[in-house]
Amino acid sequence: MKDLVRWVCDEAKRRGAAFADARAGESTASGVFLQDGRSERLSQSTSRRLGVRVMKEGAWGFATTEDVTRAGAEAALDAALAMARASEKLPCDLADIAPVDPVIDTVAIEPQEDPRSVSAAEKMRSLQAFERAMLERAGDVAVNTIVNYSDTSVAETLANTRGTLLEVRTVRTWLGAGITVQREGLRQRAFERRAAQRGYELVRETTPEELSIRAADVALSLLGAALPPSGKFPVVFSPGVTGLFTHEAIGHNAEADLVLAGTSIIEGKIGEKIGSELVTIIDESDLGTTWGSYQYDSEGTPAQRRVIIENGVLRGLMHSLTTASHFGVPANGSGRAQDCGCRPQVRMSNTYIQPAEGNIQLEDMIRDIDLGLYAKGGHSGYVMCEKGQFTCHVGEGRMIRNGQLAEPVRDVAVNGMTLEALHNIDRVASDFSLDWPGMCGKGGQGMPNNCGGPHIRIKELVVGGQTELR
Amino acid sequence: MADVEAIAKQACAEAVAAGAESADVVVGRGKNLSLDIERGRIKSSDASWGSWCSVRAVVKGGIGWASAPGADAEAARTAARQAAELAALAEPDPAFVSLPRPEERPEVEGLYDERVAELTIDDLVGMCLSNVESARSVEPSVIVTGGAYCGRSESVLVNSLGVCVHWRSTYVSTSIDAVVRRGDDVGTFYDYDSARVMEDFDPNGLGARATQVAVGFLGARKIPSGTMALVFGPLASGSIGQAIASAASAEEVQRNRSFLAGKRGERIASDLVTLVDDPFIPRGMSSGAYDGEGAPRTKLTLVERGILKAYYHNSYTAGKAGEPNTGHGTRGGVSPTNVIPELGDRTAAEIIADTANGLYLNAGWASPNMVNGDLSVTVDFGTRIEDGQLTYPVKNTMFGGNFLDLLRNIDAISSDCRREPGQVLPTLRVRDVLVAGGG
Repeated sequence: MKDLVRWVCDEAKRRGAAFADARAGESTASGVFLQDGRSERLSQSTSRRLGVRVMKEGAWGFATTEDVTRAGAEAALDAALAMARASEKLPCDLADIAPVDPVIDTVAIEPQEDPRSVSAAEKMRSLQAFERAMLERAGDVAVNTIVNYSDTSVAETLANTRGTLLEVRTVRTWLGAGITVQREGLRQRAFERRAAQRGYELVRETTPEELSIRAADVALSLLGAALPPSGKFPVVFSPGVTGLFTHEAIGHNAEADLVLAGTSIIEGKIGEKIGSELVTIIDESDLGTTWGSYQYDSEGTPAQRRVIIENGVLRGLMHSLTTASHFGVPANGSGRAQDCGCRPQVRMSNTYIQPAEGNIQLEDMIRDIDLGLYAKGGHSGYVMCEKGQFTCHVGEGRMIRNGQLAEPVRDVAVNGMTLEALHNIDRVASDFSLDWPGMCGKGGQGMPNNCGGPHIRIKELVVGGQTELR
Repeated sequence: MADVEAIAKQACAEAVAAGAESADVVVGRGKNLSLDIERGRIKSSDASWGSWCSVRAVVKGGIGWASAPGADAEAARTAARQAAELAALAEPDPAFVSLPRPEERPEVEGLYDERVAELTIDDLVGMCLSNVESARSVEPSVIVTGGAYCGRSESVLVNSLGVCVHWRSTYVSTSIDAVVRRGDDVGTFYDYDSARVMEDFDPNGLGARATQVAVGFLGARKIPSGTMALVFGPLASGSIGQAIASAASAEEVQRNRSFLAGKRGERIASDLVTLVDDPFIPRGMSSGAYDGEGAPRTKLTLVERGILKAYYHNSYTAGKAGEPNTGHGTRGGVSPTNVIPELGDRTAAEIIADTANGLYLNAGWASPNMVNGDLSVTVDFGTRIEDGQLTYPVKNTMFGGNFLDLLRNIDAISSDCRREPGQVLPTLRVRDVLVAGGG
């Protein structure tokens, strides 16, 4: 692999490319899908891919093939150069790269227990224990249970024309549990998951209490939950929802490629106060085995800690080699690609709001709220960067009445204007959790991300409820 | 494709020899080109090509899957043995009856066009630049992102019961996002065109259309909460049929995960609603004679005058229910094809003119919680309707309710519509929806 990617770079240079990189990768994955008491589907897959990116005459071209041989590499390089020639007709002003110090390194996530060494039969046995516990907790109201497991082992080699040569081996493991419950015609469901850059030890260390029993408890509580009211309310976010909000509302807007594209609402605001001084937002990629972490991004830039907002002031953006060049700043390791078959884009890693100092807990945040919403379990979210509007779907919540947590509510989404919401954060707690592993989609690529933070309070958000306020 | 068919047949035989009671194998190859536009200029041009092989083996209803890159005979046989071993380990499922058996059907016309297969990256450059030019003809300062994409693929599915199905298709598409700024005020909109054959592809004026609507979204206002009519425009109404179709999956129904479980034969929508799933529309983006398992597709009346008439089946769910396979399998799942609504008798303009207090959804989707139909949705592109007139764009606005209530409250479907290959997109109105606003 090393020889192949180096050859591509040398040849690209010889053929006039101002910059080129080549990534070759092989991966193996296995999965177990257990549903309603049966490990009904076992899977195994292998894949390989070569991706070649060239910059020539100020224009970019990219090509990818699963033919990871010299012949395949020649065809991919020809195609990438042809793509760059087409881009030359109206190249964007991204076609340069920030100064790169060549990196020669080999890094590997070494799991305690390589999932490839664990038999499918043993994996099935482990998953059954999670399902049994979930069924015992939910009893007769359970109508569907799912436990799904997957592991992926990837070996990638990267070279570029500035002399970088990197070999990276990673292992990722995902364990999820979901349950649907039904009582008197009302159906509810809940999911929990654990995911990390770890091996099979992740499964062995996870207890049913923190995975499948937790999912059952959430689903059972939703059976007794009221429909949420519709209108504007003060809203308190749990750490998971804080993470979802941070990722969707601010994180995407701070991806420098979206800023350059003219679709971010924070364009031109670096150094300006764009939020409450209680708010400091960090994207940090070198956090050990956390799901969103890595040691080098897909362009070979070392992972690092990026301060996006500090005490309400926009400090910086997430950059790839190309966006860093445009902004005249050092690359900061946010150029990530889903795999070797994809072009790197600017992506987040582990994104969070920093907790407050001192001792500020949930109770301190709800004490002076007469009527509000506590948004507890985050489901999913999305942002319309250019409009500065975000939405967070929340599976479970509680009403806040007279300074106390009151009745549970279900299935609610909250919506806000990003900059207003940032200014309206009037409490940040001192607690912290970074435990929301997920896959973020952008430009057709899925990327492992994590997010979190402390409890936070936003003075006012729109709640898309289903009932008139009582 | 004869080489690929031979590889698939050998791999299928290998899976059976390795212990699979039945098996199917897909071997395919394809090529795609894409071009991304940023601020009206070319960000990058990409080419990708490849081939693939995947094997599904069945032992007593337990399923083993294995896949490998490349259309390579040896790799396919290895995958076949792995799939058979995994199937033997998987737990038996007595509900499994059979994979599909062979049935000949004529292929739907117009899924492959040599002219689309031969499109070059320069053709995509031309499309994108024309989108940009068209957008700037409306507003010179418009910020344009988007792209153009095309591709072709061919594959073969073989199963151990004698099914041998070939697929060949092409697609071309282009999309544009237009952003117009006036200080801190932002107006945005998008549009797209996609097709399988060149006759259906007409991106002319796409940039101008998206930009005109984007300009109209400048000056969006927050509105107070209240109950009002929602009018779903053509770029929003399609999501309603899609949500019904997703919930009508027999897999979701049998697992008790659908808000339509137990509702076949019952009224789920107003009697204005009739939906037909038609896989045989020539040149449709979701058309085809066979489903992903090689079973013949059927045309399905999903909803007739508000009554839910059918669930979508694949070979597994049909066997489990003891009902005919409708041919909507995806090899492991169930998926609708072209979901076509019956049109009404008033124009979209008449429906809007007849709305005293409402909100028009220029684009968006209504995606309910699939287990219970709970709905809580942000209005990403909405325009206030007052006294029968579209008055001003809104922001920071949501609507909520239960999806089944929303279906029962549909009180108008337009006679005119936007048509895309395999899509009919009318305007429809829902009365009395709870809207939450930031004003």
